[in-house]
Amino acid sequence: MAAPTLSPARPAPAGPARPRRSGSRAERLAPLALVAPAVLIIAGLRLWPLVLGVNFSFTGDGDRDGVMVGLDNYATLFADPLFRTALRNVGLLVLLLPVAVAIPGLLATLIYLRVPGHRLYRGVYFFPAVLSPVIVGAIFTLLLAFDGPLNGFLGGLGLGPVDWLGDPDVAFFVVVAVHVWATFGMALVVFLAGFATLDQSLLDAAKTDGASFPQTVRHVIVPSLTRTIQFVFVTTMIGMLTSMFGLLYVMTSGGPEGSTYLPEYYIWIQQGRLNQPALASAASTALFLIMLVVGLAQIAILRRAAGKED
Amino acid sequence: MKQRTLWSAALVVGLTLTAGCGSASGPGSSTGSSDKLVVWDWKSGDAEAAAYVEKAKADFAKKHPGVTVEFVAQPFDQYYTLLGAAIQAGKGPDVVLFNGGGQIRDRAAALTPIDTYVGDDRQRLAGWDAFTKDGKTYAAPVTLQGHPVYYNKDLYGKAGLDPDAPPKTWDDFVRNCGVIAAKTGAKCLAQGNKEGFGIQFFLSAMGSSVLTPQEYDDWIAGKRDWASADVKRIFELWKQTGDSGLNTDGANSTAMFNDAFALFNSGKAAHVIGLMSDVGHWKDFAEFLTPEKLGVMRAPVVTTAAKPSLPFDGGIGYAVAKWTKDPKLAADLVRSLTSADALKAFYADGGAIASDATIDVSSGGPAVKTIVAEVEAGKPALHVALSSKTLDLMGRLSQQLLSGSATVDDAVAQLAASDKTG
Repeated sequence: MAAPTLSPARPAPAGPARPRRSGSRAERLAPLALVAPAVLIIAGLRLWPLVLGVNFSFTGDGDRDGVMVGLDNYATLFADPLFRTALRNVGLLVLLLPVAVAIPGLLATLIYLRVPGHRLYRGVYFFPAVLSPVIVGAIFTLLLAFDGPLNGFLGGLGLGPVDWLGDPDVAFFVVVAVHVWATFGMALVVFLAGFATLDQSLLDAAKTDGASFPQTVRHVIVPSLTRTIQFVFVTTMIGMLTSMFGLLYVMTSGGPEGSTYLPEYYIWIQQGRLNQPALASAASTALFLIMLVVGLAQIAILRRAAGKED
Repeated sequence: MKQRTLWSAALVVGLTLTAGCGSASGPGSSTGSSDKLVVWDWKSGDAEAAAYVEKAKADFAKKHPGVTVEFVAQPFDQYYTLLGAAIQAGKGPDVVLFNGGGQIRDRAAALTPIDTYVGDDRQRLAGWDAFTKDGKTYAAPVTLQGHPVYYNKDLYGKAGLDPDAPPKTWDDFVRNCGVIAAKTGAKCLAQGNKEGFGIQFFLSAMGSSVLTPQEYDDWIAGKRDWASADVKRIFELWKQTGDSGLNTDGANSTAMFNDAFALFNSGKAAHVIGLMSDVGHWKDFAEFLTPEKLGVMRAPVVTTAAKPSLPFDGGIGYAVAKWTKDPKLAADLVRSLTSADALKAFYADGGAIASDATIDVSSGGPAVKTIVAEVEAGKPALHVALSSKTLDLMGRLSQQLLSGSATVDDAVAQLAASDKTG
């Protein structure tokens, strides 16, 4: 996706000519045999379990184990304020996405423009990306504890302590901020790769014309990096929806007051702690549908944006 | 060329199919044959439990020399998730370690009642109730788990209070806390409610000093009147600990394990509702609070009709899975795992209060002696009688009570509704 597609001068590689439809039967079957592994993997290890899971979500838990209960689990799910909180938090994540993309974008721009110490920053920014979420979570749990160093620092400035992980209005944003801190290094690298394809002469021209830094960013850098930005948007969204579990588990355990639940955490609690695997299956199916909608919407937006660009 | 294409395709297919088989559940998780038993737990990997496992194995080997026993230690935070998968599959370990209460009752359908096999251990061991559902026993208790109120005698002394005369009533308790806070700066109660455990400990520790004995027994028997004045009183007290600053700061973001215990341990709070076994107990605290500095008190009385007692249940216990080939054999292993010698080793190394009341604890210091003396008059803990679902809800509501976003009436009404549906 981040491949340089901006150079129309390069000829598209010519596809191999289609072989003539002839030859022995074995030769005609060979393509099928070659596709078979991929198809079998997808069908046997992806689609079939998916069907089983969806089917399982229509059965009951506990005393009604194995009994078909229709849409009962889904009714329970959407009546559960906790699951609704989890969905609301997914919505919040989508809203916070531009911030999560803008931070590495801006920092990459500064590195590309060779601010003093840019080599150091490049390494330092990437460093958290190699840490496990559990370690990151544990570090920030200590830093953000009520009697922790951050509140100590604020107290020194005469500001009241904030219960960063204990206030339901604050905790979710704190966890997202930590997630962004921990993962933006990867997006930064993608941005830097995108910058490598940037046409230096455009920047020089902008400088000659006397463009300010914001003008350069807006009229030269952003349009040239459309593809990269789209790619980072998609991967960041996926990262937020699928890999916050470790942080949530360590930092808030879904609390306070259930305010930091995400669907995957909800699924885990229902399955592991509350022993309701069928309800968890229903939640998984719902999450799958949400991801499908978000994914399709992103592809549609990408197509439209790409169409405008080309 | 043709031949090679087909062969490599076949090879790829073959590899794919075999890769799909197999090891999701890990070694040792298949249903044991009758000459091998598989045990799942989260203890046997600990160094503290090594002697215990050794003793139990030796005891079992004497009775059944031809049978091998394999212990598979699972990580505790995933234990019930893994077990859930095994139960769904209908195969897995023969003998399973469980926490008492909701965790085992919710999964009783996957277990074999062991009443007929453990009759001889009934008298010797305490804590059976936590492993019983509808009159059938599903596991034999290994440890007892309960919630004594620990206090720091050192802080009492510094505040000019008598360390050997802990407060008997709630009003005295609050008054003492005021004195301690003024003289030493320490908070009253080390509180950790990040996971919602704080309210569970509080409900059980304070329950017997608020409810009448009749109300208490009814609660355990399943007749819970959430709207009663006394039940509401417990949640009002909980709210009071937050509102009037008795708790350590940031209770909703402090983990009970082990940040809250660390606060108590380091003298930043004068009291903590702790545990009897595993962690957060007398032996854990001994690292910083020497035995003579650590006291155990009865919960301070709130209503005159109440009779405070130590809340305790069977802590962990071994159960026999339904799918095991020879339930008698598996039950014999459970009996070995709860034999007097094995439990003695568990007490000595792990510091757990073992289910066997005949074990001599006189060397453990005054706190453990007080606890063991209270066991006889003790009653099952209130929160253990609740389902995991209600406990989960109670955790969140308790956080709302502390932060002021829910009222006691509202919380109690929601809990009553959850308790009714199970």
